[in-house]
Amino acid sequence: MTVQAEFEAIEAGAEITGRPFTVTRETIADFALGSLDFNPLHFDDNYMKESFGKTQFKGVIMHGMQNFAVITRTLTDWLLPKGGYHRRLETRWLTPVYLGDTITVTATVQRKLVTDGSRWVVFDIAVTNQDGVRVAAGEAMAEFADAFPGAPVN
Amino acid sequence: MAELVLEAYENDFWKDVDNRKTWDQIIPGDLRNTKPVTLTKDVIGQFARLIGDDNPLYTDEEFAKTTPYGGIIAPPSIHIVLMFACTDVTDWMRSPGTINCGQSWFYNIPARPGDTITMRGSALDKFIKKERLFAIHENVFTNQHSQVVCTGRGWTIRPV
Repeated sequence: MTVQAEFEAIEAGAEITGRPFTVTRETIADFALGSLDFNPLHFDDNYMKESFGKTQFKGVIMHGMQNFAVITRTLTDWLLPKGGYHRRLETRWLTPVYLGDTITVTATVQRKLVTDGSRWVVFDIAVTNQDGVRVAAGEAMAEFADAFPGAPVN
Repeated sequence: MAELVLEAYENDFWKDVDNRKTWDQIIPGDLRNTKPVTLTKDVIGQFARLIGDDNPLYTDEEFAKTTPYGGIIAPPSIHIVLMFACTDVTDWMRSPGTINCGQSWFYNIPARPGDTITMRGSALDKFIKKERLFAIHENVFTNQHSQVVCTGRGWTIRPV
């Protein structure tokens, strides 16, 4: 299928569900090395008993950017076979994610738009935990261009 | 240019805590100290594995060649590590207790193995809301051809 045909086959309201991700001390340690973010919020149980201004935590928390990584994985896994390019991701964290929590990403096609130069899909993004509580929300944007934006320059 | 080696970075954020700017000292518009880093195929694969992204686009050259990218790329989310890789131990994003509230990023062209990435970063704004101290940081990452890889900003609550 051409990129245009792939784009036209996408329907508003379509839902993409990512693979669940469970947070453990190991995933946090891995993410810390991967990101070089060694903030004690993610390791130090005693530190997390302190108060953070108006903010209180129940224990060590997952890196917020782990949400970002899981959302990106979900989008790329879906876009790559269609020739779509992940252009943008905007998220805010609504509540902390703790050890033992399992998060799942849902990307819902909000709208499609054709501009002078290209074709775009806008997604509503939700990340929920095992209790159905939304831990992160946002929007993403993908481009379905005739000339693939990521093609090698040389 | 210095190849990015994750294990070479200091992992105790309490060291140098007194050498980092507090919320009061952050001046929106002031550039943060940064240095370029070079991405290797190894560190791209390591990053993808450590953040839980197993798409073979980041590790399998034969597979990546069959995609529109034409070869291995870094995950779009590579900016997560570049933010720390390009800054030093005194950078205020390392202050213990920095709470990330959300981020937004635009992706222009992907980073590839061998690319040398330069960061330009600053605070864009700081404000007080409900007795919390906020700073917004904004960042631009470019490659060795001065092409923009990605741009983004994040909202953080600063430790008191």
